[in-house]
Amino acid sequence: MLLETQDVSKAFGGFVALAEVSLSVESNEIVGLIGPNGAGKSTFFNCIAGDLAPSDGCIRLDGVDITHEPPEARARLGIGRTFQVPATFEDMSILENVMVGAFLRHPHARDARSKAIDVLRLTGLEAQSAQPARSLGTPGRKRLEIARVLATEPRLLLLDEALAGLTPVEIQSAITLVRKIHALGITIVIVEHIMEVILTLAARVLVFNQGRTIAQGRPADVVSDPKVIEAYLGHHHGRRARRRT
Amino acid sequence: MSARWEPIALWMRARWGPIALWATLLVFPFIVQGSDSAAFFQDVGANLILAAIAASAWNIVGGYAGQVSVGHAIFFGAGAYVPLLVYTLWEVPPLLGLPLGIAVAVLIALGIGMPSFRLQGHYFSMATIAVAELVRLVVGNWDLLGAAIGIQGPATPRGWWDLIFRSSMPYYYIFLGVLAVTLSLTYAMERSRFGYYLRAIRAGERAARSLGVPVRRTKLKALMLSAALTATAGSLYAFKVGFVNPESGLGILVSVQMIIVAALGGAGTLYGPLIGAIVLVPLQSATNTWFGGGGSGLTFILYGGIIVILARFEPGGLLELWRRLAARVFHAA
Repeated sequence: MLLETQDVSKAFGGFVALAEVSLSVESNEIVGLIGPNGAGKSTFFNCIAGDLAPSDGCIRLDGVDITHEPPEARARLGIGRTFQVPATFEDMSILENVMVGAFLRHPHARDARSKAIDVLRLTGLEAQSAQPARSLGTPGRKRLEIARVLATEPRLLLLDEALAGLTPVEIQSAITLVRKIHALGITIVIVEHIMEVILTLAARVLVFNQGRTIAQGRPADVVSDPKVIEAYLGHHHGRRARRRT
Repeated sequence: MSARWEPIALWMRARWGPIALWATLLVFPFIVQGSDSAAFFQDVGANLILAAIAASAWNIVGGYAGQVSVGHAIFFGAGAYVPLLVYTLWEVPPLLGLPLGIAVAVLIALGIGMPSFRLQGHYFSMATIAVAELVRLVVGNWDLLGAAIGIQGPATPRGWWDLIFRSSMPYYYIFLGVLAVTLSLTYAMERSRFGYYLRAIRAGERAARSLGVPVRRTKLKALMLSAALTATAGSLYAFKVGFVNPESGLGILVSVQMIIVAALGGAGTLYGPLIGAIVLVPLQSATNTWFGGGGSGLTFILYGGIIVILARFEPGGLLELWRRLAARVFHAA
Protein backbone atom coordinates (compact mmCIF):
# COMPACT_ATOMS: atom_id res chain seq x y z
CA MET A 1 0.00 0.00 0.00
CA LEU A 2 1.58 3.29 -1.04
CA LEU A 3 -0.70 5.77 0.71
CA GLU A 4 -3.06 5.08 3.53
CA THR A 5 -5.24 7.53 5.42
CA GLN A 6 -7.08 6.28 8.46
CA ASP A 7 -10.04 8.19 9.89
CA VAL A 8 -8.59 11.56 8.93
CA SER A 9 -10.65 14.44 10.30
CA LYS A 10 -10.21 18.17 10.15
CA ALA A 11 -12.20 20.77 12.03
CA PHE A 12 -11.86 24.54 11.67
CA GLY A 13 -13.18 25.78 14.99
CA GLY A 14 -16.60 24.22 15.28
CA PHE A 15 -16.90 23.46 11.58
CA VAL A 16 -16.07 19.89 10.63
CA ALA A 17 -14.61 20.08 7.14
CA LEU A 18 -13.55 16.48 7.06
CA ALA A 19 -14.88 13.55 9.09
CA GLU A 20 -13.09 10.22 9.38
CA VAL A 21 -11.95 9.79 5.80
CA SER A 22 -10.13 6.54 5.12
CA LEU A 23 -8.46 5.83 1.80
CA SER A 24 -5.91 3.32 0.58
CA VAL A 25 -4.04 3.90 -2.63
CA GLU A 26 -2.09 1.09 -4.26
CA SER A 27 1.09 1.71 -6.18
CA ASN A 28 0.47 2.88 -9.74
CA GLU A 29 -3.26 3.55 -9.26
CA ILE A 30 -5.11 6.65 -10.41
CA VAL A 31 -7.63 7.65 -7.77
CA GLY A 32 -10.10 10.49 -8.28
CA LEU A 33 -11.56 12.65 -5.53
CA ILE A 34 -14.86 14.21 -6.55
CA GLY A 35 -17.78 15.94 -4.90
CA PRO A 36 -19.66 19.23 -4.94
CA ASN A 37 -18.07 22.52 -3.83
CA GLY A 38 -17.17 22.61 -0.16
CA ALA A 39 -17.38 18.83 0.16
CA GLY A 40 -13.91 18.59 1.73
CA LYS A 41 -11.89 17.37 -1.27
CA SER A 42 -9.35 20.15 -1.04
CA THR A 43 -9.11 19.89 2.73
CA PHE A 44 -8.38 16.19 2.42
CA PHE A 45 -5.91 16.87 -0.38
CA ASN A 46 -4.06 19.44 1.71
CA CYS A 47 -3.91 17.03 4.65
CA ILE A 48 -2.13 14.49 2.42
CA ALA A 49 0.22 17.14 1.02
CA GLY A 50 1.07 18.39 4.51
CA ASP A 51 -0.27 21.91 4.18
CA LEU A 52 -2.93 21.21 6.80
CA ALA A 53 -2.47 19.15 9.94
CA PRO A 54 -5.40 16.78 10.49
CA SER A 55 -7.25 17.25 13.78
CA ASP A 56 -7.44 13.50 14.10
CA GLY A 57 -6.46 10.36 12.26
CA CYS A 58 -3.32 9.04 10.67
CA ILE A 59 -1.62 9.31 7.27
CA ARG A 60 0.91 6.68 6.20
CA LEU A 61 3.22 6.49 3.22
CA ASP A 62 4.63 2.98 2.66
CA GLY A 63 3.43 2.10 6.13
CA VAL A 64 5.41 4.95 7.74
CA ASP A 65 3.42 7.50 9.74
CA ILE A 66 3.83 10.93 8.12
CA THR A 67 0.88 12.67 9.80
CA HIS A 68 3.12 15.29 11.41
CA GLU A 69 5.73 15.71 8.69
CA PRO A 70 5.93 19.19 7.10
CA PRO A 71 5.38 19.54 3.32
CA GLU A 72 9.10 19.75 2.51
CA ALA A 73 9.74 16.42 4.26
CA ARG A 74 6.86 14.83 2.37
CA ALA A 75 8.35 16.08 -0.89
CA ARG A 76 11.59 14.36 0.03
CA LEU A 77 9.65 11.15 0.78
CA GLY A 78 8.14 11.24 -2.69
CA ILE A 79 4.84 13.12 -2.46
CA GLY A 80 4.44 15.84 -5.09
CA ARG A 81 1.52 18.22 -5.49
CA THR A 82 0.17 20.95 -7.72
CA PHE A 83 -1.94 23.90 -6.60
CA GLN A 84 -5.51 24.74 -7.47
CA VAL A 85 -4.43 28.29 -8.31
CA PRO A 86 -1.06 27.85 -10.03
CA ALA A 87 1.80 28.98 -7.80
CA THR A 88 4.59 29.24 -10.35
CA PHE A 89 7.67 31.35 -9.55
CA GLU A 90 6.70 34.29 -11.76
CA ASP A 91 10.04 36.09 -12.14
CA MET A 92 12.03 32.95 -12.80
CA SER A 93 12.28 31.37 -16.24
CA ILE A 94 10.40 28.18 -17.02
CA LEU A 95 13.65 26.22 -16.93
CA GLU A 96 14.57 27.77 -13.56
CA ASN A 97 11.14 26.92 -12.15
CA VAL A 98 11.65 23.29 -13.05
CA MET A 99 15.25 23.34 -11.78
CA VAL A 100 14.01 24.29 -8.31
CA GLY A 101 12.13 20.99 -8.30
CA ALA A 102 15.04 19.05 -9.79
CA PHE A 103 17.44 20.31 -7.10
CA LEU A 104 15.64 18.08 -4.57
CA ARG A 105 17.37 14.96 -5.88
CA HIS A 106 20.22 16.62 -7.82
CA PRO A 107 22.16 19.05 -5.64
CA HIS A 108 24.52 20.13 -8.42
CA ALA A 109 23.28 22.75 -10.85
CA ARG A 110 24.49 20.86 -13.93
CA ASP A 111 22.61 17.66 -13.00
CA ALA A 112 19.51 19.63 -11.99
CA ARG A 113 19.56 21.43 -15.32
CA SER A 114 19.75 18.25 -17.37
CA LYS A 115 16.98 16.66 -15.27
CA ALA A 116 14.85 19.78 -15.78
CA ILE A 117 15.42 19.70 -19.53
CA ASP A 118 14.30 16.05 -19.65
CA VAL A 119 11.11 16.95 -17.81
CA LEU A 120 10.46 19.98 -20.05
CA ARG A 121 10.77 17.71 -23.05
CA LEU A 122 8.26 15.27 -21.55
CA THR A 123 5.76 18.00 -20.75
CA GLY A 124 6.18 19.84 -24.04
CA LEU A 125 7.48 23.08 -22.54
CA GLU A 126 10.96 22.77 -24.02
CA ALA A 127 10.53 25.48 -26.63
CA GLN A 128 9.57 28.14 -24.06
CA SER A 129 12.15 27.15 -21.44
CA ALA A 130 13.95 30.52 -21.42
CA GLN A 131 10.80 32.62 -21.03
CA PRO A 132 9.72 33.88 -17.62
CA ALA A 133 6.88 31.91 -16.03
CA ARG A 134 4.72 35.03 -16.00
CA SER A 135 4.56 34.93 -19.80
CA LEU A 136 2.43 31.78 -19.64
CA GLY A 137 -1.36 31.64 -19.59
CA THR A 138 -3.37 29.41 -17.26
CA PRO A 139 -2.93 26.17 -19.27
CA GLY A 140 0.82 26.80 -19.52
CA ARG A 141 1.08 27.51 -15.82
CA LYS A 142 -0.73 24.32 -14.91
CA ARG A 143 1.59 22.41 -17.21
CA LEU A 144 4.61 24.14 -15.67
CA GLU A 145 3.44 23.18 -12.19
CA ILE A 146 3.23 19.57 -13.29
CA ALA A 147 6.69 19.78 -14.85
CA ARG A 148 8.14 21.37 -11.72
CA VAL A 149 6.78 18.69 -9.42
CA LEU A 150 7.76 15.87 -11.81
CA ALA A 151 11.33 17.11 -11.51
CA THR A 152 11.25 16.19 -7.81
CA GLU A 153 10.77 12.58 -8.97
CA PRO A 154 7.66 11.86 -6.90
CA ARG A 155 6.19 8.42 -6.39
CA LEU A 156 2.80 9.87 -5.55
CA LEU A 157 1.50 12.85 -7.50
CA LEU A 158 -1.39 14.89 -6.12
CA LEU A 159 -3.14 16.96 -8.80
CA ASP A 160 -5.46 19.67 -7.49
CA GLU A 161 -7.84 20.58 -10.31
CA ALA A 162 -5.01 20.51 -12.80
CA LEU A 163 -7.52 20.69 -15.64
CA ALA A 164 -10.01 23.25 -14.37
CA GLY A 165 -10.38 26.29 -16.57
CA LEU A 166 -8.97 24.63 -19.68
CA THR A 167 -10.67 24.47 -23.06
CA PRO A 168 -11.77 21.05 -24.35
CA VAL A 169 -8.73 20.84 -26.61
CA GLU A 170 -6.39 21.73 -23.77
CA ILE A 171 -8.14 19.17 -21.56
CA GLN A 172 -7.44 16.46 -24.11
CA SER A 173 -3.75 17.28 -24.22
CA ALA A 174 -3.64 17.46 -20.42
CA ILE A 175 -5.26 14.04 -20.16
CA THR A 176 -2.62 12.68 -22.52
CA LEU A 177 0.05 14.17 -20.25
CA VAL A 178 -1.47 12.59 -17.13
CA ARG A 179 -1.54 9.23 -18.90
CA LYS A 180 2.12 9.66 -19.86
CA ILE A 181 3.00 10.41 -16.25
CA HIS A 182 1.05 7.38 -15.08
CA ALA A 183 2.91 5.23 -17.61
CA LEU A 184 6.16 6.24 -15.87
CA GLY A 185 4.94 4.32 -12.84
CA ILE A 186 3.80 7.32 -10.82
CA THR A 187 0.72 6.90 -8.64
CA ILE A 188 -1.79 9.72 -9.05
CA VAL A 189 -4.47 11.16 -6.81
CA ILE A 190 -6.51 13.72 -8.69
CA VAL A 191 -9.11 16.21 -7.46
CA GLU A 192 -11.39 17.22 -10.27
CA HIS A 193 -14.68 18.92 -10.92
CA ILE A 194 -15.04 17.81 -14.50
CA MET A 195 -16.73 14.37 -14.50
CA GLU A 196 -15.54 13.63 -18.02
CA VAL A 197 -11.92 13.83 -16.89
CA ILE A 198 -12.40 11.60 -13.88
CA LEU A 199 -14.35 9.05 -15.88
CA THR A 200 -11.62 8.72 -18.48
CA LEU A 201 -8.66 8.79 -16.10
CA ALA A 202 -9.44 7.27 -12.73
CA ALA A 203 -9.91 3.57 -12.12
CA ARG A 204 -11.42 4.33 -8.74
CA VAL A 205 -13.12 7.41 -7.32
CA LEU A 206 -13.97 8.64 -3.87
CA VAL A 207 -17.05 10.86 -3.61
CA PHE A 208 -17.12 13.53 -0.92
CA ASN A 209 -20.14 15.30 0.49
CA GLN A 210 -20.23 17.52 3.54
CA GLY A 211 -16.87 16.28 4.77
CA ARG A 212 -17.64 12.56 4.46
CA THR A 213 -17.03 9.98 1.78
CA ILE A 214 -20.42 8.86 0.57
CA ALA A 215 -19.36 6.46 -2.16
CA GLN A 216 -16.30 4.72 -3.45
CA GLY A 217 -15.62 2.49 -6.42
CA ARG A 218 -15.42 2.32 -10.19
CA PRO A 219 -16.44 5.65 -11.77
CA ALA A 220 -19.25 4.10 -13.82
CA ASP A 221 -20.86 2.57 -10.73
CA VAL A 222 -20.40 5.65 -8.61
CA VAL A 223 -22.10 8.06 -11.00
CA SER A 224 -25.28 5.97 -10.96
CA ASP A 225 -25.28 5.74 -7.15
CA PRO A 226 -28.43 7.56 -5.90
CA LYS A 227 -26.52 9.06 -2.98
CA VAL A 228 -24.03 10.62 -5.38
CA ILE A 229 -26.73 11.98 -7.65
CA GLU A 230 -28.47 13.42 -4.64
CA ALA A 231 -25.29 15.13 -3.46
CA TYR A 232 -24.73 16.70 -6.86
CA LEU A 233 -28.26 17.43 -8.01
CA GLY A 234 -30.41 17.50 -4.88
CA HIS A 235 -33.12 15.31 -3.31
CA HIS A 236 -35.50 15.34 -6.22
CA HIS A 237 -33.08 13.75 -8.67
CA GLY A 238 -31.81 11.38 -6.03
CA ARG A 239 -35.30 10.04 -5.40
CA ARG A 240 -35.91 9.60 -9.10
CA ALA A 241 -32.71 7.65 -9.49
CA ARG A 242 -33.58 5.47 -6.53
CA ARG A 243 -36.96 4.63 -8.04
CA ARG A 244 -35.33 3.60 -11.29
CA THR A 245 -33.00 1.12 -9.65
CA MET B 1 16.07 40.50 -33.66
CA SER B 2 17.08 41.68 -37.13
CA ALA B 3 20.44 40.80 -38.62
CA ARG B 4 21.58 44.41 -38.57
CA TRP B 5 21.62 44.44 -34.78
CA GLU B 6 23.09 40.98 -34.33
CA PRO B 7 26.62 42.30 -33.62
CA ILE B 8 25.26 44.55 -30.92
CA ALA B 9 23.36 41.68 -29.36
CA LEU B 10 26.52 39.60 -29.38
CA TRP B 11 28.49 42.49 -28.00
CA MET B 12 25.96 42.85 -25.21
CA ARG B 13 25.95 39.15 -24.51
CA ALA B 14 29.74 39.28 -24.10
CA ARG B 15 29.05 41.03 -20.81
CA TRP B 16 31.09 44.10 -21.64
CA GLY B 17 29.05 46.02 -19.12
CA PRO B 18 30.59 44.36 -16.05
CA ILE B 19 34.05 44.39 -17.62
CA ALA B 20 33.87 48.13 -18.33
CA LEU B 21 32.46 48.72 -14.84
CA TRP B 22 35.31 46.89 -13.11
CA ALA B 23 37.92 48.54 -15.33
CA THR B 24 36.54 51.98 -14.48
CA LEU B 25 36.49 51.20 -10.78
CA LEU B 26 40.08 49.96 -10.94
CA VAL B 27 41.47 53.14 -12.48
CA PHE B 28 39.07 55.65 -10.91
CA PRO B 29 41.44 57.00 -8.20
CA PHE B 30 44.07 57.68 -10.89
CA ILE B 31 41.59 59.36 -13.23
CA VAL B 32 40.73 61.93 -10.57
CA GLN B 33 44.36 62.21 -9.42
CA GLY B 34 44.97 65.37 -11.47
CA SER B 35 41.93 67.19 -10.15
CA ASP B 36 42.10 69.90 -7.49
CA SER B 37 39.76 67.89 -5.28
CA ALA B 38 41.44 64.51 -5.88
CA ALA B 39 41.39 63.64 -2.18
CA PHE B 40 37.69 64.43 -1.97
CA PHE B 41 36.82 62.34 -5.04
CA GLN B 42 38.90 59.41 -3.79
CA ASP B 43 37.17 59.62 -0.44
CA VAL B 44 33.74 59.60 -2.10
CA GLY B 45 34.95 56.63 -4.17
CA ALA B 46 35.94 54.67 -1.07
CA ASN B 47 32.61 55.46 0.61
CA LEU B 48 30.83 54.39 -2.55
CA ILE B 49 32.57 51.00 -2.62
CA LEU B 50 31.85 50.53 1.09
CA ALA B 51 28.16 51.28 0.56
CA ALA B 52 28.16 48.80 -2.33
CA ILE B 53 29.65 46.08 -0.09
CA ALA B 54 27.06 46.64 2.64
CA ALA B 55 24.17 46.77 0.17
CA SER B 56 25.41 43.64 -1.64
CA ALA B 57 25.55 41.86 1.71
CA TRP B 58 21.98 42.97 2.52
CA ASN B 59 20.94 41.92 -0.99
CA ILE B 60 21.53 38.22 -0.26
CA VAL B 61 18.73 38.03 2.29
CA GLY B 62 16.75 41.17 1.42
CA GLY B 63 16.98 40.92 -2.35
CA TYR B 64 17.42 37.30 -3.42
CA ALA B 65 15.40 35.77 -0.57
CA GLY B 66 12.96 38.70 -0.43
CA GLN B 67 13.18 38.95 3.37
CA VAL B 68 13.37 42.73 3.80
CA SER B 69 15.45 43.23 6.92
CA VAL B 70 15.50 46.77 8.28
CA GLY B 71 17.83 45.72 11.08
CA HIS B 72 21.08 45.09 9.26
CA ALA B 73 22.65 47.95 11.22
CA ILE B 74 23.06 45.40 14.03
CA PHE B 75 25.46 43.34 11.92
CA PHE B 76 27.20 46.46 10.59
CA GLY B 77 27.50 47.71 14.17
CA ALA B 78 28.90 44.40 15.40
CA GLY B 79 31.53 44.58 12.68
CA ALA B 80 32.36 48.20 13.53
CA TYR B 81 32.33 47.96 17.32
CA VAL B 82 34.22 44.72 17.94
CA PRO B 83 37.55 45.71 16.25
CA LEU B 84 37.58 49.06 18.06
CA LEU B 85 36.62 47.33 21.31
CA VAL B 86 39.51 44.83 21.13
CA TYR B 87 41.82 47.77 20.50
CA THR B 88 40.41 49.72 23.46
CA LEU B 89 40.66 46.72 25.77
CA TRP B 90 43.98 45.16 24.77
CA GLU B 91 45.57 47.62 22.32
CA VAL B 92 45.78 44.92 19.64
CA PRO B 93 45.40 46.00 16.00
CA PRO B 94 41.70 46.47 15.15
CA LEU B 95 42.22 44.14 12.19
CA LEU B 96 42.36 41.24 14.67
CA GLY B 97 38.83 42.10 15.74
CA LEU B 98 37.47 41.52 12.23
CA PRO B 99 36.93 37.74 12.52
CA LEU B 100 35.54 38.21 16.02
CA GLY B 101 33.12 40.86 14.76
CA ILE B 102 31.98 38.50 12.02
CA ALA B 103 31.47 35.71 14.55
CA VAL B 104 29.41 37.99 16.80
CA ALA B 105 27.27 39.09 13.83
CA VAL B 106 26.64 35.51 12.72
CA LEU B 107 25.62 34.51 16.24
CA ILE B 108 23.26 37.49 16.45
CA ALA B 109 21.84 36.52 13.04
CA LEU B 110 21.12 33.06 14.38
CA GLY B 111 19.44 34.52 17.45
CA ILE B 112 17.32 36.94 15.43
CA GLY B 113 16.54 34.60 12.56
CA MET B 114 15.26 31.63 14.54
CA PRO B 115 12.25 33.41 16.03
CA SER B 116 11.67 36.18 13.47
CA PHE B 117 11.57 33.96 10.38
CA ARG B 118 8.31 32.62 11.78
CA LEU B 119 7.00 36.01 10.66
CA GLN B 120 6.37 36.83 7.03
CA GLY B 121 6.50 39.94 4.89
CA HIS B 122 6.05 43.25 6.68
CA TYR B 123 5.92 41.57 10.09
CA PHE B 124 9.45 40.31 9.61
CA SER B 125 10.61 43.81 8.59
CA MET B 126 8.96 45.39 11.63
CA ALA B 127 10.50 42.84 13.98
CA THR B 128 13.96 43.62 12.61
CA ILE B 129 13.45 47.38 13.09
CA ALA B 130 12.40 46.78 16.69
CA VAL B 131 15.40 44.60 17.50
CA ALA B 132 17.82 47.04 15.85
CA GLU B 133 16.46 50.03 17.78
CA LEU B 134 16.64 48.02 20.98
CA VAL B 135 20.29 47.17 20.33
CA ARG B 136 21.07 50.83 19.55
CA LEU B 137 19.52 51.93 22.85
CA VAL B 138 21.33 49.26 24.87
CA VAL B 139 24.71 50.05 23.32
CA GLY B 140 24.05 53.77 23.83
CA ASN B 141 23.89 53.11 27.56
CA TRP B 142 26.67 50.58 27.82
CA ASP B 143 29.86 52.10 29.25
CA LEU B 144 32.12 49.30 27.98
CA LEU B 145 31.09 50.27 24.43
CA GLY B 146 31.52 54.00 25.09
CA ALA B 147 27.81 54.56 25.67
CA ALA B 148 26.45 57.53 23.73
CA ILE B 149 29.92 58.89 22.92
CA GLY B 150 31.24 55.80 21.14
CA ILE B 151 34.70 54.26 20.95
CA GLN B 152 37.72 54.91 18.79
CA GLY B 153 40.72 53.14 17.33
CA PRO B 154 44.40 54.06 17.46
CA ALA B 155 44.97 57.80 16.92
CA THR B 156 48.27 57.31 15.09
CA PRO B 157 49.34 54.19 13.19
CA ARG B 158 51.81 51.92 15.02
CA GLY B 159 52.42 50.03 11.78
CA TRP B 160 50.69 49.21 8.51
CA TRP B 161 48.62 46.59 10.33
CA ASP B 162 46.66 49.32 12.10
CA LEU B 163 45.28 50.18 8.65
CA ILE B 164 45.49 53.92 9.18
CA PHE B 165 46.31 55.83 6.03
CA ARG B 166 46.23 59.55 5.38
CA SER B 167 45.00 59.10 1.83
CA SER B 168 41.72 57.38 0.94
CA MET B 169 43.46 55.51 -1.87
CA PRO B 170 44.57 52.44 0.13
CA TYR B 171 41.07 52.16 1.62
CA TYR B 172 39.60 52.41 -1.84
CA TYR B 173 41.58 49.42 -3.08
CA ILE B 174 41.07 47.35 0.07
CA PHE B 175 37.32 47.97 -0.20
CA LEU B 176 37.36 47.17 -3.91
CA GLY B 177 39.01 43.82 -3.14
CA VAL B 178 36.37 43.00 -0.53
CA LEU B 179 33.63 44.05 -2.96
CA ALA B 180 35.09 41.68 -5.57
CA VAL B 181 35.03 38.83 -3.05
CA THR B 182 31.45 39.69 -2.00
CA LEU B 183 30.18 39.80 -5.57
CA SER B 184 32.05 36.59 -6.49
CA LEU B 185 30.34 34.84 -3.59
CA THR B 186 27.00 36.22 -4.71
CA TYR B 187 27.71 35.14 -8.29
CA ALA B 188 28.50 31.59 -7.19
CA MET B 189 25.44 31.59 -4.97
CA GLU B 190 23.19 32.72 -7.83
CA ARG B 191 24.17 29.65 -9.81
CA SER B 192 23.90 27.11 -7.00
CA ARG B 193 20.98 25.28 -5.45
CA PHE B 194 21.12 27.73 -2.54
CA GLY B 195 20.54 30.69 -4.88
CA TYR B 196 17.66 29.01 -6.71
CA TYR B 197 16.06 28.12 -3.39
CA LEU B 198 16.32 31.74 -2.18
CA ARG B 199 14.58 33.02 -5.31
CA ALA B 200 11.91 30.32 -5.00
CA ILE B 201 11.29 31.39 -1.39
CA ARG B 202 10.88 35.00 -2.49
CA ALA B 203 8.43 33.95 -5.22
CA GLY B 204 6.27 31.76 -2.99
CA GLU B 205 7.07 29.97 0.24
CA ARG B 206 4.19 27.54 0.04
CA ALA B 207 5.11 26.36 -3.45
CA ALA B 208 8.79 26.21 -2.49
CA ARG B 209 8.05 23.96 0.48
CA SER B 210 5.92 21.67 -1.68
CA LEU B 211 9.01 21.11 -3.84
CA GLY B 212 11.09 20.10 -0.84
CA VAL B 213 12.81 23.44 -0.14
CA PRO B 214 13.70 23.60 3.56
CA VAL B 215 12.46 27.18 3.81
CA ARG B 216 13.45 28.17 7.33
CA ARG B 217 16.89 26.58 7.21
CA THR B 218 17.61 28.22 3.85
CA LYS B 219 16.52 31.65 5.08
CA LEU B 220 18.64 31.25 8.19
CA LYS B 221 21.70 30.32 6.13
CA ALA B 222 21.12 33.39 3.94
CA LEU B 223 20.80 35.66 6.96
CA MET B 224 24.02 34.30 8.49
CA LEU B 225 25.98 34.75 5.24
CA SER B 226 24.52 38.22 4.82
CA ALA B 227 25.37 39.11 8.44
CA ALA B 228 28.98 37.97 8.02
CA LEU B 229 29.45 40.17 4.93
CA THR B 230 27.64 43.13 6.51
CA ALA B 231 29.90 42.84 9.56
CA THR B 232 32.90 42.91 7.24
CA ALA B 233 31.60 46.17 5.81
CA GLY B 234 31.17 47.49 9.36
CA SER B 235 34.77 46.60 10.23
CA LEU B 236 36.07 48.32 7.08
CA TYR B 237 34.11 51.40 8.10
CA ALA B 238 35.72 51.30 11.55
CA PHE B 239 39.21 50.95 10.07
CA LYS B 240 38.71 53.93 7.80
CA VAL B 241 36.89 56.28 10.16
CA GLY B 242 38.60 55.04 13.33
CA PHE B 243 35.56 55.84 15.39
CA VAL B 244 32.04 54.55 15.89
CA ASN B 245 29.06 55.71 17.94
CA PRO B 246 25.53 54.33 18.29
CA GLU B 247 24.23 56.58 15.49
CA SER B 248 26.94 55.89 12.89
CA GLY B 249 27.21 52.17 13.66
CA LEU B 250 23.72 51.15 14.69
CA GLY B 251 21.36 53.95 13.59
CA ILE B 252 18.36 53.12 11.48
CA LEU B 253 19.85 55.22 8.67
CA VAL B 254 22.60 52.59 8.35
CA SER B 255 20.01 49.87 7.63
CA VAL B 256 17.92 52.12 5.42
CA GLN B 257 20.94 53.11 3.33
CA MET B 258 21.66 49.46 2.50
CA ILE B 259 18.05 48.96 1.40
CA ILE B 260 17.86 52.13 -0.67
CA VAL B 261 21.18 51.49 -2.38
CA ALA B 262 20.21 47.89 -3.25
CA ALA B 263 16.66 48.76 -4.29
CA LEU B 264 17.76 51.75 -6.38
CA GLY B 265 20.07 49.62 -8.50
CA GLY B 266 17.93 46.50 -8.38
CA ALA B 267 17.37 44.20 -5.40
CA GLY B 268 18.00 40.54 -6.09
CA THR B 269 20.45 41.20 -8.90
CA LEU B 270 24.23 40.80 -8.82
CA TYR B 271 25.17 44.34 -9.83
CA GLY B 272 22.10 46.18 -8.54
CA PRO B 273 23.67 47.28 -5.23
CA LEU B 274 26.87 48.48 -6.91
CA ILE B 275 24.91 50.50 -9.49
CA GLY B 276 22.76 51.92 -6.69
CA ALA B 277 25.86 53.00 -4.76
CA ILE B 278 27.41 54.59 -7.84
CA VAL B 279 24.31 56.77 -8.24
CA LEU B 280 23.38 57.43 -4.63
CA VAL B 281 26.66 58.00 -2.78
CA PRO B 282 27.97 60.82 -4.99
CA LEU B 283 24.50 62.38 -4.86
CA GLN B 284 24.60 62.23 -1.07
CA SER B 285 28.10 63.69 -0.92
CA ALA B 286 27.06 66.46 -3.28
CA THR B 287 24.02 67.45 -1.24
CA ASN B 288 26.04 67.32 1.96
CA THR B 289 28.73 69.52 0.43
CA TRP B 290 26.38 72.07 -1.10
CA PHE B 291 24.11 72.37 1.89
CA GLY B 292 26.71 72.09 4.62
CA GLY B 293 27.77 69.28 6.91
CA GLY B 294 24.45 69.26 8.71
CA GLY B 295 22.90 67.64 5.67
CA SER B 296 21.69 64.53 7.47
CA GLY B 297 18.14 65.86 7.42
CA LEU B 298 18.53 66.23 3.69
CA THR B 299 19.67 62.62 3.42
CA PHE B 300 16.31 61.56 4.82
CA ILE B 301 14.52 63.70 2.25
CA LEU B 302 16.65 62.20 -0.51
CA TYR B 303 15.89 58.65 0.68
CA GLY B 304 12.19 59.43 0.96
CA GLY B 305 12.11 60.83 -2.56
CA ILE B 306 13.90 57.79 -3.94
CA ILE B 307 11.49 55.41 -2.18
CA VAL B 308 8.49 57.24 -3.64
CA ILE B 309 9.90 57.34 -7.16
CA LEU B 310 11.02 53.68 -7.10
CA ALA B 311 7.75 52.40 -5.67
CA ARG B 312 5.70 54.37 -8.16
CA PHE B 313 7.68 53.99 -11.38
CA GLU B 314 10.31 51.29 -11.22
CA PRO B 315 10.15 48.75 -8.38
CA GLY B 316 12.76 46.67 -10.21
CA GLY B 317 15.39 49.41 -9.89
CA LEU B 318 17.73 51.03 -12.40
CA LEU B 319 19.09 47.76 -13.82
CA GLU B 320 15.57 46.63 -14.68
CA LEU B 321 14.87 50.01 -16.29
CA TRP B 322 18.06 49.74 -18.34
CA ARG B 323 17.25 46.19 -19.44
CA ARG B 324 13.81 47.25 -20.58
CA LEU B 325 15.11 50.29 -22.44
CA ALA B 326 17.91 48.28 -24.05
CA ALA B 327 15.48 45.57 -25.12
CA ARG B 328 13.20 48.20 -26.64
CA VAL B 329 16.00 49.95 -28.50
CA PHE B 330 17.58 46.79 -29.92
CA HIS B 331 14.35 44.91 -30.64
CA ALA B 332 12.59 47.84 -32.24
CA ALA B 333 15.26 48.16 -34.88
